[in-house]
Amino acid sequence: MKALLIPGLILACIFSLLCALSVGAVSLSWGEVWQALSNYDSSILTQKIVVELRLPRTLLAFFAGAGLAIAGLILQTVTRNPLADPYLFGISSGASFGVVLLVALFGVQSALALSGAAFAGSAVAMGLLLLIAFHKGTALVENMLLSGVALTFLFSAFTSLLLYWSDPQAISAIIFWSLGSFSRADWQWLWLPALVVLVGCVLMLLMRRSLNALLVGDESAVTLGVNVHRLRLGMLILASMLTAVIVAACGGVGFVGLMIPHIVRFFISQVRTVGMLATALSGGLMMLWVDVLARTLIDNQELPIGVITSAIGSVFFLSLLIAKKRAASI
Amino acid sequence: MTSPQISVHNLSLNLGNKPVLSGLNFAIARGQFIGLIGPNGAGKSSLLRCLYRYWEQTEGEILYAGKPVSDYPRRAYARQVAVVLQEIPSQFNLALFEVVAMGVTPHKTLFSTVNADDKLRILEAIERVGLSHKAQQQFDSLSGGEKQRAMIARAMVQQPELLIMDEPTSHLDVKYQIQIMELAKAMGVTVIASFHDLNLAAALSDELLVLAQGTLVAQGTPLDIITPDLLSDIFGVCAEVETVPGLHRSAPGVPHIRYHYGYQL
Repeated sequence: MKALLIPGLILACIFSLLCALSVGAVSLSWGEVWQALSNYDSSILTQKIVVELRLPRTLLAFFAGAGLAIAGLILQTVTRNPLADPYLFGISSGASFGVVLLVALFGVQSALALSGAAFAGSAVAMGLLLLIAFHKGTALVENMLLSGVALTFLFSAFTSLLLYWSDPQAISAIIFWSLGSFSRADWQWLWLPALVVLVGCVLMLLMRRSLNALLVGDESAVTLGVNVHRLRLGMLILASMLTAVIVAACGGVGFVGLMIPHIVRFFISQVRTVGMLATALSGGLMMLWVDVLARTLIDNQELPIGVITSAIGSVFFLSLLIAKKRAASI
Repeated sequence: MTSPQISVHNLSLNLGNKPVLSGLNFAIARGQFIGLIGPNGAGKSSLLRCLYRYWEQTEGEILYAGKPVSDYPRRAYARQVAVVLQEIPSQFNLALFEVVAMGVTPHKTLFSTVNADDKLRILEAIERVGLSHKAQQQFDSLSGGEKQRAMIARAMVQQPELLIMDEPTSHLDVKYQIQIMELAKAMGVTVIASFHDLNLAAALSDELLVLAQGTLVAQGTPLDIITPDLLSDIFGVCAEVETVPGLHRSAPGVPHIRYHYGYQL
């Protein structure tokens, strides 16, 4: 059964992609979707909707989900902390701060500028984190986690301060941004998250043995020939890049990075290549459907992604925990 | 006379500004079973950590097969030296098989996969430590003794020339203390192990190293080392030492300690 897991997930992703392309404000048949994909004619409106609007945002949703899931898996592994998550390290609060700074001080609200500011903010947060945590070359797990939490609060404080002085219009723009949305997806910039997520996935698979060795402790990993400091630094940079690019492209999308690796871990061991691939695909799959829900739950209005991931995610996660506990007690 | 497998020259280690080890010199020949003993805080774990390169010494040199250990790439060194640690943290639902399989890590490049030979080697190692029936169980659910046996199996998969063990038996039942040490001995490679139980150390070791306050105070066969004087000077206990038969009939006897009690009276 486990041999069918990855092909099954890939099929589910393709099926979901087609579903996601057909539903929305204008419902299209699968035939129309297929027509648009196979024989695109930009003069037909429905085909334009599929190719210019829905396809890029659906792909962005997939890559964002997959990227956050593997960033979560990597961070949970290198910190050996099951609660680690891409947002725990101050990366997204850095991004929010960048956005708020731009909107509040300069009044800029163009999508591209916001993405750039978010990326710059995350890069600053990431740089500070590395500087603090790796000071004197001691990359203790506890130091890293605590520095991340401290940075999160630091950036939140500055963000709140700026928001306090901003006008209501800017505040609502910032809040909508920070809750996440795929509506800014376009073909021109899609390559960046796609590339970063694919490269991240390949690097994680190549380093899987060293990553797995970390799971039973730094000292044990050293005795297996792993250069723990270099590995942790590299993987932290990789996870930060993934998060920064995704946050810049679609704002703050919480809970996916924490939850997906745990859900997959319920069913398959993360030390197996299959487990890692399943984590990436499940993240993408979940985000595809979250995007569909965001577009269709309320007519003519789009719900913020972050609200849906957190709401559905936490309920699903809790029910899995309870089911698992019940199974264990029988 | 062949060159020693591992030798330590004028080794010192400071942690912060505190000296932990100072001026250690010793050499260990291939195939020996070395027991490292000493009171709490003597620097046993610190010395072992230097030997398996978790820490770097402040001064002095450690030579492995005649070459400074820092000249070995980490992976190459891990193919020579395997380590069984005191305690293993794990909370990610790893199966015993997966933990033992980590032993192949230093033998694999980025692109290679675990092949049928490796798998056989892993299963054989699990079989040798008597845990085949638990191979798919979660590592966390195993008892202390089973975890340590699993770590020995991992060391076997690693196919080292030298096995280092840091008090691998410290909180195990007597049965497992003996079983784990005999498993280590059965690997047929050089072993350096630190011990709390002096009788166990004396019975199993070819040679003992005695550490106290970061310095090496004695090195020699158990019969030479374990004396009432050393026990009172270094360990602060009163005891008698008698000689009992060793593991093999041909071997000379091993010292056996009978402690005296009632110090508070």
